[in-house]
Amino acid sequence: MDWNEVHRRMELAQASLGHTVDPTPGEKKRILKERAKVLAQEPKVEEQECIEVVEFLLAYERYGVVSSYVREVYPLRDLTPVPCTPPFVLGIVNVRGQIISVIDIKKFFDIPEKGLTDLNKVIIIQPDSLSAETPMTSVSGPIGILADVILGVHSVALSQLQPSLPTLTGIREEYLMGVTTERVVILDARKLLSDKKIIVHEKEE
Amino acid sequence: MRWSVGTKIGGGFALALAILVVIGVMAYRSTTELIDAAQMKTHTYEVLKDLDGLLSTMENAETGQRGYIITGEKNYLQPYNAAISVIDPEIQRIRELTSDNASQQRRLDTLAPLIKSKIDELKLTIELRESKGFQAASQVVLSDEGKQKMDDIRKVVARMENEENGLLVVRDARVNADTQRTISTILYGIPFAFLLLAFVGFFTTRDIARPLRRISDAAELIASGDLTVSVPSNNRRDEVGVLTQTFDRMARFLQEMAKAAEKIAAGYLNVQVKPQSQRDVLGNAFATMVENLRGMTNEIREGVNVLASSASEILAATTQVASGAAETAAAVSETTTTVEEVKQTAQVASQKSKYVSDNAQRMVHASESGKKSVQESIDGMNHIREQMDSIGESIVRLSEQSQAIGEIIATVNDLAEQSNLLAVNAAIEAAKAGEQGKGFAVVAQEIKSLAEQSKQASAQVRAILSDIQKATGAAVMATEQGTKAVEAGVKQSTTAGESIRMMADSIAESTQAAAQIAASSQQQLIGMDQVASAMENIKQASTQNVASTKQAETAAQGLHDLGQKLKELVERFKV
Repeated sequence: MDWNEVHRRMELAQASLGHTVDPTPGEKKRILKERAKVLAQEPKVEEQECIEVVEFLLAYERYGVVSSYVREVYPLRDLTPVPCTPPFVLGIVNVRGQIISVIDIKKFFDIPEKGLTDLNKVIIIQPDSLSAETPMTSVSGPIGILADVILGVHSVALSQLQPSLPTLTGIREEYLMGVTTERVVILDARKLLSDKKIIVHEKEE
Repeated sequence: MRWSVGTKIGGGFALALAILVVIGVMAYRSTTELIDAAQMKTHTYEVLKDLDGLLSTMENAETGQRGYIITGEKNYLQPYNAAISVIDPEIQRIRELTSDNASQQRRLDTLAPLIKSKIDELKLTIELRESKGFQAASQVVLSDEGKQKMDDIRKVVARMENEENGLLVVRDARVNADTQRTISTILYGIPFAFLLLAFVGFFTTRDIARPLRRISDAAELIASGDLTVSVPSNNRRDEVGVLTQTFDRMARFLQEMAKAAEKIAAGYLNVQVKPQSQRDVLGNAFATMVENLRGMTNEIREGVNVLASSASEILAATTQVASGAAETAAAVSETTTTVEEVKQTAQVASQKSKYVSDNAQRMVHASESGKKSVQESIDGMNHIREQMDSIGESIVRLSEQSQAIGEIIATVNDLAEQSNLLAVNAAIEAAKAGEQGKGFAVVAQEIKSLAEQSKQASAQVRAILSDIQKATGAAVMATEQGTKAVEAGVKQSTTAGESIRMMADSIAESTQAAAQIAASSQQQLIGMDQVASAMENIKQASTQNVASTKQAETAAQGLHDLGQKLKELVERFKV
């Protein structure tokens, strides 16, 4: 065994470790410059009317919800299953003191199930607070939608939005707003919120 | 034909005898008569001769008388005296000869007195001459009385001769007649008999000889071996007919025998031969022969089978023996070579053992230094063990530290995740803020990308950490094994030291042993020489053995072939 070689390699590793942790002034400057360059770019002015969409993954399909209906995104923690509910109701979570029911829309779209993990997120939707239109129903309170991965917020031109596939019928058609050219299925949060079928309101006889 | 051949031949001979008897009787009779006639004739001639003798005697007496008278000399009386002495017997003889003739007897009776008187007259004259002289005697003679008497005698004799001559003529005639008759008998009787006998003989012969010739021809053919003859039998019941039928039967019997013999010759031993009778030697012999042949063929077949199988077995055995001998020869050859090599090896060993003895001496010294070296190496090993312990501890510390890094990385990852969510919420809020939130949205986007990057970086660090963890694990293992190896090394060094000490003792013993080995190997070398020569002999013997077994194999092959051939030969006989 060549111990000289070993020593040399160890020193090299030491040097590179220090370098990463503590970049040289030149390196630091270069990184900052690159970032400034990216930020300095003029964002494309959208001529058309756009909507902001929160994108997420269900299995391997991309779905989106108009961001104005989204209150926030929250990691799925402490899910409490509720008995005597339809299968699409996963349970309830406590978000800063507010109890929110979580539904699984995979059941609606026949998407294969995946086991629940800490990495799952809940998109909490509520009626659009900014828009002038009044809520159609007396549905009160937000609803959580289960998402596998949150991809981010993107703006989608309305002109790109295509009507939903004619083959889709029933409940699926009802919840769809359209499909973008990038095959992102945009859900209609208003209908979701206002659909009475989702509401579990079982009274005692 | 009702007559048998014996009857026919006997008849013919009887006929011939009869004819012979007739002719013989006739000839006998004629010849007897002829002899009688010839005797009578001779008798007549004798009578005539005696009569002539009588007359001449008388004349002799007269001549003597006259001579005496004339001369008076007594010696002239000689013829007279001779005649006087014979005259009476002559007369007596004539009388006897003519006893059968009465007339001649009578004439003799007359002649006898005349002769008596004449002789008396002669006597008278002679006495006169003697007494009275010549005159007186001549007187008496001149009286003519004597002459007269003489003439009378002559007359009587002439008459007698005439008589006898007459008889002679008659008797001649009789002889001639008899002769003629005999000749006739012979002249006609013999040809007649000849013709008759020839006729009878010809037919008899033809009747017997022809069939016999046919049979003899057939017998000739049979004798020459041709059995295809056939003798047509007629219905004759005599000996020839019987002979023909019998011969025909014999020929057919022989043909049957020949057919049976041909079948036997062709190998069909299943023919049945029925003897004609109890005393049929040929048939019995044939039947016995076929029976014996059949039995013999069976026995031969069994024997040949045994022979063939034995020959096969012998062949197989011989082949095995041959191959075994060949293998033995090869093995012996190899062994010979090996022995030669061993010999050389022994030679080398003998040389080497000397070297070994010398080397062992050196090795005693070497083992001493080896012992020291082992002690030193044990010390070195202990030092190495301490080093290895410190290495192990360092590595374990390293591993623990990398585990701490991993925990930190997990925290960073969690932070990145939360930053990401935060960025999304910020973006949502920015969107809610509308136009005023646009700039905030960009910031939120930037935070999100930073969160992503830190997430990726933490993932990379995690991967590297995992590699480091594996490497440290391997290093711990290696160190542990190294430590164990060092411990084993220490143990082995100790053992080696012990071994080397023992080795030194052994080497001392070995030195002595090597000297003994050197002596032994010298003896061994001599022994190996003897073994080599012995192996050479064995090799030659085995080579000869191989050749012999080859010959035996060839012979067995021949025997096998012979057995097969015999088998085929015997198969040709159908029993």
